[in-house]
Amino acid sequence: MNHTAIFIITYLCDILLFAVALIGVLRYKRLEPAFKVLATAAVASLSLNIIENIYIAVYKSNAPIYHIRAIVEYIFYALTYYYLFTNRRLKTIILVSIAVLTPFSIINALYLQPYHNTFPTYVNVPTLALLVIFALMLFKQMLLSPLKTPLMKQGTFWFNTGIIFYSTTMFLVIGLSNVYKSDLSLYIVVFYLWYSIVYIFAILVGIALFTDNRKIDNNHAV
Amino acid sequence: MRFEDIEIILLSTAVLFTVVTGFIIYFVILYRNKQIKHKQEQQQLQASFRQELLKAKIEMQEQTLTHVSREIHDNITQVLSFVKLDLAMINTIDEAQKLVKINESRELVAQAISDLRDLSKSLSFEHITRIGLVKTIEIEVARLNKSGIVKAELAVTGEVIPLGEQRELVLFRIFQESVNNMLKYASAKHFSIGLRYYPELFNLTLDDDGDGFVPDQENKGDGSGLKNMENRASLIGAIFKIDSQPGKGCNIKITLNPLEQRLYTDEELPNSFG
Repeated sequence: MNHTAIFIITYLCDILLFAVALIGVLRYKRLEPAFKVLATAAVASLSLNIIENIYIAVYKSNAPIYHIRAIVEYIFYALTYYYLFTNRRLKTIILVSIAVLTPFSIINALYLQPYHNTFPTYVNVPTLALLVIFALMLFKQMLLSPLKTPLMKQGTFWFNTGIIFYSTTMFLVIGLSNVYKSDLSLYIVVFYLWYSIVYIFAILVGIALFTDNRKIDNNHAV
Repeated sequence: MRFEDIEIILLSTAVLFTVVTGFIIYFVILYRNKQIKHKQEQQQLQASFRQELLKAKIEMQEQTLTHVSREIHDNITQVLSFVKLDLAMINTIDEAQKLVKINESRELVAQAISDLRDLSKSLSFEHITRIGLVKTIEIEVARLNKSGIVKAELAVTGEVIPLGEQRELVLFRIFQESVNNMLKYASAKHFSIGLRYYPELFNLTLDDDGDGFVPDQENKGDGSGLKNMENRASLIGAIFKIDSQPGKGCNIKITLNPLEQRLYTDEELPNSFG
């Protein structure tokens, strides 16, 4: 495995996450409540990345951070959807899913997939599946009540595109990771793929935070 | 083996990326079509509303002119004819009677002037935009009572707020239409009008004790204008309900949320008249 390439990729990822978090912080006051949560998620994601780098340097493993990341990111993204949805039933489902998955992730880290050496795939699979469902439901909601604002200027569209892209492709990456975890030379391909997804997702979240504007986003076409 | 595995990874990734991208592109196209469709629907609604508003204005003008013509024929012409007769007799009567006739003529002329003033007020339908719905209906109620055909009563509850020029115009036209129907078909003795203003609700109720009818689709389709009233109510976002039975009079209820914004009723023209 080329260490320089890995270093550059992870370093660039940190810079990208920092840029996204910076956009969120700078535009925080102009954002809708949903995107305020997303901006906080971007800051949390950056913080977890920094902690992860330190943890790898000290303990040569990032598995424990992944256990935290899996549930923290889900909570933030689910809460973003909570504010974006208008349907009360969906809002309730989101709150219930958070209430169920948070203790489950703790149980998983302690008993099912030990946090010190195993990745939390048991948490990733349901959270990613739920995020795909939320993304599809939000697309449906957007189609039912379109805004006058062009789609490309809607933060909701970019965020939702990011989530649907991230959640579906991460399924593939998790699957491939399990298949090729014993073969390091193939695992590097999965590693590049994983970072490509994170890069694209971060860019889409950055665009979402950059384009969202609470003044225009309630301008319905009807 | 390794190359085959890499091929599988790349192929599955490519397929997934293509599917997701395809889905997003499909969504973008679908959304754009929805936006265009909604815009067209909105334009259609605006056009339809303007057309209905224009129709309502023309009908109001026609009704006003009919009323003016009837008033001039039945009232003012009669009064002035009396004055003419009095004045024609003035040379043939003594001084004391002359004074009586002159005073009588003066009173009749004053009455004619007053009637003409009232008529001039109702000549323009735009007076609703100046004096508001409540005052306009008050004038109509006074006119109905003056005619002696029916005893009309108006009850206003709550704090009167302007509902918007176009909404008030449409509501007034619905009121006029129901008055017409009542006078034409119902043989009613009493007519009650209720205007109820609540913070997020406005009610206009019209009750008569006339012959009544069965408010089915057939009635809505004929010349009674019920369908018209219902259509117009829906154009301003109001709910139109009619309740009537043969021999039990008629009750019309129009419910409106005055805070609800409707682009085609609120744009361009000022929405209040203070």
